Amino acid sequence: MTGLVLTPIEPDGPPIDLAGVLPEQLVDGGRDALAGLGLLRGRERLRLGDLFTIQDGGPSGALILRPGGAVLDRVGAGMTAGEILVEGDCGAYAGSGMRGGTLMVEGDCGAFAGAEMAGGRLRIGGDAGDFLGAPLAGSPRGMTGGSIIVGGNAGDRVGERMRRGLIAVHGRVGDLCGARMIAGSVVVGGGCGAGLGLAMRRGTILLHQLPEAFPAGFDDGGMNEWLFLELMRRDLMQAGAWPVGFPATGTRARRLIGDRSASGIGEVLILQ
Amino acid sequence: MQRNGVHIEDTFAEAFPMLGTRLIVTADTPVWVQAAVLSMTGFATSVIACGCEAAVERLLPPEETPDARPGAAVLLFAMSKAELAKQVARRVGQCVMTSPGSACYAGLSEGPTIPLGNALRYFGDGWQISKRIGGRRYWRIPVMDGEFLCEATTALVDGVGGGNFILLAADRHAGLVAAQAAVMAIREVPGAILPFPGGVVRSGSKIGAKYKGQIASTNTAFCPTLRTAPVASLVPDGVESILELVIDGVSAEAVAAAMRAGIGAVVALGAAAGVVSVTAGNYGGKLGRYQFRLHEVMA
Repeated sequence: MTGLVLTPIEPDGPPIDLAGVLPEQLVDGGRDALAGLGLLRGRERLRLGDLFTIQDGGPSGALILRPGGAVLDRVGAGMTAGEILVEGDCGAYAGSGMRGGTLMVEGDCGAFAGAEMAGGRLRIGGDAGDFLGAPLAGSPRGMTGGSIIVGGNAGDRVGERMRRGLIAVHGRVGDLCGARMIAGSVVVGGGCGAGLGLAMRRGTILLHQLPEAFPAGFDDGGMNEWLFLELMRRDLMQAGAWPVGFPATGTRARRLIGDRSASGIGEVLILQ
Repeated sequence: MQRNGVHIEDTFAEAFPMLGTRLIVTADTPVWVQAAVLSMTGFATSVIACGCEAAVERLLPPEETPDARPGAAVLLFAMSKAELAKQVARRVGQCVMTSPGSACYAGLSEGPTIPLGNALRYFGDGWQISKRIGGRRYWRIPVMDGEFLCEATTALVDGVGGGNFILLAADRHAGLVAAQAAVMAIREVPGAILPFPGGVVRSGSKIGAKYKGQIASTNTAFCPTLRTAPVASLVPDGVESILELVIDGVSAEAVAAAMRAGIGAVVALGAAAGVVSVTAGNYGGKLGRYQFRLHEVMA
């Protein structure tokens, strides 16, 4: 048994909401069940089989999406197991609410990728939009588990209100990275925008260069050795998530502690 | 059974189920690894009075430790989960966390767990930080030389305690030489430790005593100085020194392998080196779940 490859029939049409199209369905009902799933394209509800061609391909149990130019929202949202590979870009909410499995996107993702993710792995080869691993609108909690790895850059509010898990961005991130973070780890290979760690309570933001603006509400704790960084480096290197510019050895880093305005004891570590 | 002039008695070592765990202790240099683990495994020879039995299983090169520093694998055994948890918390808290530059990790990951860093985190007084890395949870506790990094929990293994053999030698020097050879051989066996000083016991015990309240007393049957006393002596003529090696392991197979290695080393020295015979300690097979028959071990 192979996986299934989904290709949009009309790539130039309105955005398609792929919520509910998950690898679990291949196990439960196979191709026919998948083809019969109801999806929203714009405001129309249509069968998946009317929107996508379905072919065999890829590893067993995996779903492969070839968006072409189509905008696919909520890819892998809520997935609990299995594997989805997107050979192109995703729209908004990719992997939001994920609890397990692996979602790999070769291209870019829109806003809210990995929002409220609780488990599994989301890997984005290109750039990610705003609210990566953040809460959905109106929700008090961001990411609570799992890992997100971004090969390119990410937008504003990366890891906002994050509670657990790991976000690693090889490139730069926008404003308010780690804002209101409660715990977890955010690794940023490039630069950061304004408001880094704003109102952060706990958690770790790992950088290699000082932010453009020294984060307000943070104290400079000075240099020290941080042994856990060796463990983190090994783990992230194995996952291909250790940013290229980061040192390959050494655990020495400068530590900023804050945000004091929120009585926080979060940390921004700047690797040397 | 006769090997190289050494008589191996047809008897068995009687051993008991124990709960064990393996901890990996690292530090900046091998010297500081030794400082931490020697302290941690001190006064851990017998559960009779020490709470647990513990020793270094083997030293680890940086390539084999989680943080790429020199380290040591330590095995600890106790009779219950609660007692092992108590001993681990005390020993890691007082002997490893206090040792400069140290870190402590779980050496087993499968099975039920007991607290490790979870039992020590409050030492951080609110400044401790939990960090989940590679699916494992760690505590970072601020200390005066930086941070003490400690895995949150460690897993338990159903181990075996009290594997043993007793070597009878012509004199004390011959006994020591043979015992040291056995210790060196056993330390090469993974999953087994020798919890007594230098790996050797010279004051083997029997259950009970003539005195009320004394739960164990000297093993009169194997005391050469009591050979002619009315104590049912088992000391043959020509034997002046008897030493015992007590082995704990993560499995019966590990204990058997250690006994095989140790007896093998003793036998290799042979009668020419003053080794007279090898026997084992047991309670008639009534108390322990495990019986390691010397002839089967050495078959």
